[in-house]
Amino acid sequence: MTPNEISYSHILPEVVLSVFGMLIMLAEPMLGERASRKPLGYLAFFGTLAAGAATLYQAQYPGFAFWHMVHVDAFSTFFHLLVIGVAAVVILSSLDYVEEETVHAGEYYGLVLLGAVGMCLMSSAVELVLIFVALEISSIATYVLTGIRRKNAAGAESALKYFLLGSFATAFFLFGVAMMYGATGSTDIPNIALTLAKGSIPGLVYVGMALMFVGLGFKIASAPFHVWTPDVYEGAPAPIVGFMSTAPKAAVFAVMLRIILQTGAPGWLYLIWGSAALSMTLGNLGALLQTNVKRMLAYSSIAQAGYILVAFTAAPQEATSAVMFYMLCYAAMNVGAFAVITFYSGKDERRVHLEDFAGLGATNPLLALTLTIFLLSLIGIPLTGGFLAKFYVFQVALKANMVWLTIIGVLNSAVAAYYYLRLVVAMYMKPAPEGAVRVAAPLPMKIALLAAAALTLYLGIVPTGVLSYTTEAAAQLLTAPAVKVVTGQ
Amino acid sequence: MTANLHLWLIPLLPLLGAAINGAFGKRFSRQLVSAVGLAGSGAAFLYALWIASQYSALATAMPIVDKTLGTWIKAGTFQADFAFQLDQLSFVMLLIVTGVGFLIHVYSVGYMWEESGYYRFFCYLNLFLFFMLTLILAANYLLMFIGWEGVGLASYLLIGFYFTKDSAANAGKKAFIVNRIGDFGFLIALFLLIQHFGTLDFTLLADKIVPLGSEAGWGLLSSIGVLLMVGAAGKSAQIPLYVWLPDAMEGPTPVSALIHAATMVTAGVYMVSRSHVIFDRAPQALLVVAVIGCATAFFAATIGICQTDIKKVLAYSTVSQLGYMFLGCGAAAYSAGVFHLMTHAFFKGLLFLAAGSVIHSLGGEQDMRRMGGLRKEIPWTFWTMTAGTFAIAGFPFFAGYYSKDMILWKVSQHNPILFGFGLLTAFITSFYMFRLWFMTFFGERATAEAGHGHHDQAPAAHGHDDHGHDGHGHGHAGGHAHESGWLMLFPLVVLAILSVIGGWMVGGGEGFAKFLSPVFSVGLAADPTEVAGGMSEGFVSALATVAFLLGLGLAWFLYVRRKNIPAQIAQNLGGIYSAVLNKYWVDEIYATVIVNPMMAISRTVLWQGIDRKVIDATLDDAAAGANQLSGEVRKMQSGNIRSYAAWVAAGAVLVVGYMMWMGAAR
Amino acid sequence: MELVLFWVFAAICIGGAINLLAQKHPINSALSLVVVMASLAVEYLLLGAEFVAAVQVIIYAGAIMVLFIFVIMLLNAGEEPHGGKTSLVAKLVGLPALGILAVMLVWALTAQAGGSVAVAGAEPGPPQVIARLLFNDFLLPFEVTSVLVLIAIMGAVVLAAPLQPHHAAKILAAQAGEGGQS
Repeated sequence: MTPNEISYSHILPEVVLSVFGMLIMLAEPMLGERASRKPLGYLAFFGTLAAGAATLYQAQYPGFAFWHMVHVDAFSTFFHLLVIGVAAVVILSSLDYVEEETVHAGEYYGLVLLGAVGMCLMSSAVELVLIFVALEISSIATYVLTGIRRKNAAGAESALKYFLLGSFATAFFLFGVAMMYGATGSTDIPNIALTLAKGSIPGLVYVGMALMFVGLGFKIASAPFHVWTPDVYEGAPAPIVGFMSTAPKAAVFAVMLRIILQTGAPGWLYLIWGSAALSMTLGNLGALLQTNVKRMLAYSSIAQAGYILVAFTAAPQEATSAVMFYMLCYAAMNVGAFAVITFYSGKDERRVHLEDFAGLGATNPLLALTLTIFLLSLIGIPLTGGFLAKFYVFQVALKANMVWLTIIGVLNSAVAAYYYLRLVVAMYMKPAPEGAVRVAAPLPMKIALLAAAALTLYLGIVPTGVLSYTTEAAAQLLTAPAVKVVTGQ
Repeated sequence: MTANLHLWLIPLLPLLGAAINGAFGKRFSRQLVSAVGLAGSGAAFLYALWIASQYSALATAMPIVDKTLGTWIKAGTFQADFAFQLDQLSFVMLLIVTGVGFLIHVYSVGYMWEESGYYRFFCYLNLFLFFMLTLILAANYLLMFIGWEGVGLASYLLIGFYFTKDSAANAGKKAFIVNRIGDFGFLIALFLLIQHFGTLDFTLLADKIVPLGSEAGWGLLSSIGVLLMVGAAGKSAQIPLYVWLPDAMEGPTPVSALIHAATMVTAGVYMVSRSHVIFDRAPQALLVVAVIGCATAFFAATIGICQTDIKKVLAYSTVSQLGYMFLGCGAAAYSAGVFHLMTHAFFKGLLFLAAGSVIHSLGGEQDMRRMGGLRKEIPWTFWTMTAGTFAIAGFPFFAGYYSKDMILWKVSQHNPILFGFGLLTAFITSFYMFRLWFMTFFGERATAEAGHGHHDQAPAAHGHDDHGHDGHGHGHAGGHAHESGWLMLFPLVVLAILSVIGGWMVGGGEGFAKFLSPVFSVGLAADPTEVAGGMSEGFVSALATVAFLLGLGLAWFLYVRRKNIPAQIAQNLGGIYSAVLNKYWVDEIYATVIVNPMMAISRTVLWQGIDRKVIDATLDDAAAGANQLSGEVRKMQSGNIRSYAAWVAAGAVLVVGYMMWMGAAR
Repeated sequence: MELVLFWVFAAICIGGAINLLAQKHPINSALSLVVVMASLAVEYLLLGAEFVAAVQVIIYAGAIMVLFIFVIMLLNAGEEPHGGKTSLVAKLVGLPALGILAVMLVWALTAQAGGSVAVAGAEPGPPQVIARLLFNDFLLPFEVTSVLVLIAIMGAVVLAAPLQPHHAAKILAAQAGEGGQS
């Protein structure tokens, strides 16, 4: 297999996801006008399973394809599986939500799958133009999904906000790509790495890096580009918040790893340092007094992005591995937490305030228990993935002598316990309001919750397999791959 | 290596109990819940006893490491296993934790019988034992940290057990968060250990650290030691992180006895002793430990003088005694610290349980001003509590006497100033304990009305009403006190016997030190006790006994003989008195200096500046319900979008500016 | 001569863009956009990218702008009400920030002008070269753009299409429920 040819096996998961996305769009008109939309959801879920299988199949044929556009390796496989897994859990937890809300079901599932196409592609793309297109796919899908609840003013408002600000940020990224091209004469990441390794780095590279960081920093909601997050998360449908706070972020982190670490670009260290410290501090302080749970978790996700950024300051290989591990843990616990909120908030998301969660431990033990696991993991209690992820990140950061950043980070995670605990306290230590009824979660929701909870615990108790995989993937990412030579032939 | 001991079973047995009670307890009868709970803790205790019976065969092989459960984390060169280890130190801790733990389980059956959430209580209690046993049996710091955080979690659950009371829920949260601050130090210390030694395994670390020489100035090991001490200060309630422990008394009394007196709070002492290889090479860090311990011992003891809630007196006493243990560790006399840990587990566990029995018998009364004359009404409680009081105060040949003398003697060889404060604290301890004893059991029973005329009533803020009571509403407060049932008395008697003979039983401080010497002599050049000069052990004992007698005498004089004097003293001292009564306003100072500013930042800066939405959240909700779309939305929030874009642009300026500067400076 | 033309059309382009934002009536804004697109086409031409220039005129200035104006006229959109809340932050932070950013970027680009901006293989060429690039090297981005377009269409459908009957029923039910409660 030469790199310069069309090879569908190298984009097989993306193809499968696109096909299922379109199938859903075609299938919707076949359903009766008043029929349940659940079959579409199951079709979408099946699509994610097929895409997952495709990823595993694809992993056997690593290497370049499409004229050095994509590179399949352990790194890309990891993020493919992460994104697809998140999509699967989100779809399962959406089945009943979509039935209840005023939502175009076909477009809902279609957009989740097609958005996942962009996110998957971001993790395997090694070329800035393709990364940009993939980023746009992922972004536009999330903009639309944010506003998909038609009869919800807050939803429409947050979609508009997200769209305008997001486009603003994307423009920065595109400008950065142009600068990079101007400076190095290539948009191909291995090529850029080669040029930069030759020394005498042009000043434009720094500007290009800065501009790309602005765009990417916005997408991962890291400070100082985080201001949009609480509003948008509050207005977006709960399952979609679970989706957009994890899958696109994972993809963007994959892109950042490629752009920052794989290229060996210079000068960004204290930029990331500052952004990480600011994200952790602002995120946690902002969450302290929030009473709206979605907003609280929005600030929490800002802080979590900060923790992940801390990992970037470590030695490249450890940094990559730590980012991957953290991202997986974060995805499991955050998607799980939002799945609980999706179900519990009920129709029109009426119950998203702290006091609404009072007595959940008594009225709905399964929801309360799983949410507690996710929250404990977010706090970073041992035997959950969140603890090991934080431990790993701070450990590699300190190893790289990032003493103050580690101190800021660990102090932050101490403070953060306060607001996560408030939710636990509300669930277990406050009496249920009058008239609270026990509603059993439907089976798909249960599966989604238990899968997320199981993964959270698995990563905390037997992480070795995943850790050795991420270490291997990091090594693969950082050994310079073959450089593209031929252009336009 | 001897045959596999399956040490991992020990923590797992209580976990099993917790799981069963947690999953099915709701449907079980109370008898069955008790049986499961007792089986969980009792099995662990029996296992510990079995190990004790094999001790002579095992001793030579110690430390015995059990890696049955395999690897936990392996990332690069760093590895941490689910490995448990047994040596003399963890053996002592094992016996204390399972033994006292089991007794308190028994006691709880009687004490909590009428509470709702009975199964929940036993589930948490067993869960606590699981984490505590993991903590003391862990063979590396990371596994220890599981237990470390886990006991914090269990303690949080148990403090907040009476969650319908806001004060209890808040106290639980406070305990958890203050502990997290301490964990911050612990974690950083662990990161430093990994960074410099590449492992967290106790044995491997010792191998790497022992060859290092003692640090003359401030070095890496000193930093690690102090950071570990920060962690220990959080868990073991030392200055400046002790504030959570008095509040933790909101929990049920058996919890106070088990977690906040006998076991969990001593985890810090255990951890420091466990890290003795590091501290031995970091004299500066040892000095920090000693000073913190001494200051806490003295400071908390003075607060104890003025408290009127029987559990609060014991809480401050616990803080003070923990300070003693750290003082001992700080003098490099780890075995003395651990010895005091053990005797303290006996007598303080006993004192709490007895106090619980008093409270129980009075239907939930905790205010000592409303007690008095109880010695005839509840004789068993009285006599056992007497044993505990004499033991803690240092009555010759009782348990506390041996351990306290040992610490004081060791300290006297190191630092005369610390010794002076230690001795003074011994006197204060004796005084406030006998004050408690006299107020509770002697004199006349003060009724609710009479209590108001009493001197200690002074600032109403500390009056009866805002003290958290155990929620023991038996409905006969002020009526006739009744003795507790045998389930509650049995643990009291056992612990009373141990409080009396516990020190002598192990051969006093010397014998105990000899027992532990295989652990603490690792990496020591010479026997640390051989310090020239200083006072003889007998002389220190005599001084301590004098302190005991003075305290007893003063308490008798003030609270039996001339009851009007304390009020006059309180009036004459004015400022100092109110400072002590208000615990030196430490809580208030923390609130003003740390908590409030943080909340203010969160509220003002973030909400006003960026997150203005929260303030008009209600308005938005109303809008969400209504079906008005575009126009309304645009008007309402368009300004917001612009300001957000402005922030993004400003951030971009910072980022681009910084990177251009980097590019120019390259 | 070419340089003079370049600057002139650059000025026109920026002027058009500012006018686009300043105009209250959508039609005026749309026409300003035509100016922007057309002057951009000239810039491309001046840089030697004939093909891109032609595409710019045909697709943007031609097809897309016609569609815009068509839609605006069809909807009979009137003047936008300006005003509402203007953000203090935007004025005090945003505008200066954008100004500084522009200055910094201009400085960065001009400082590089004599430097290493020489770009290999970047000669804007005849359509054959572009076609070859597009259907070999950039085949994947080119194809993937179709997904992007599909998503954009779906977005438009979701946000604009009328609600389906089962949605209407749900809303009615919800309103009835609310009425019953209040």
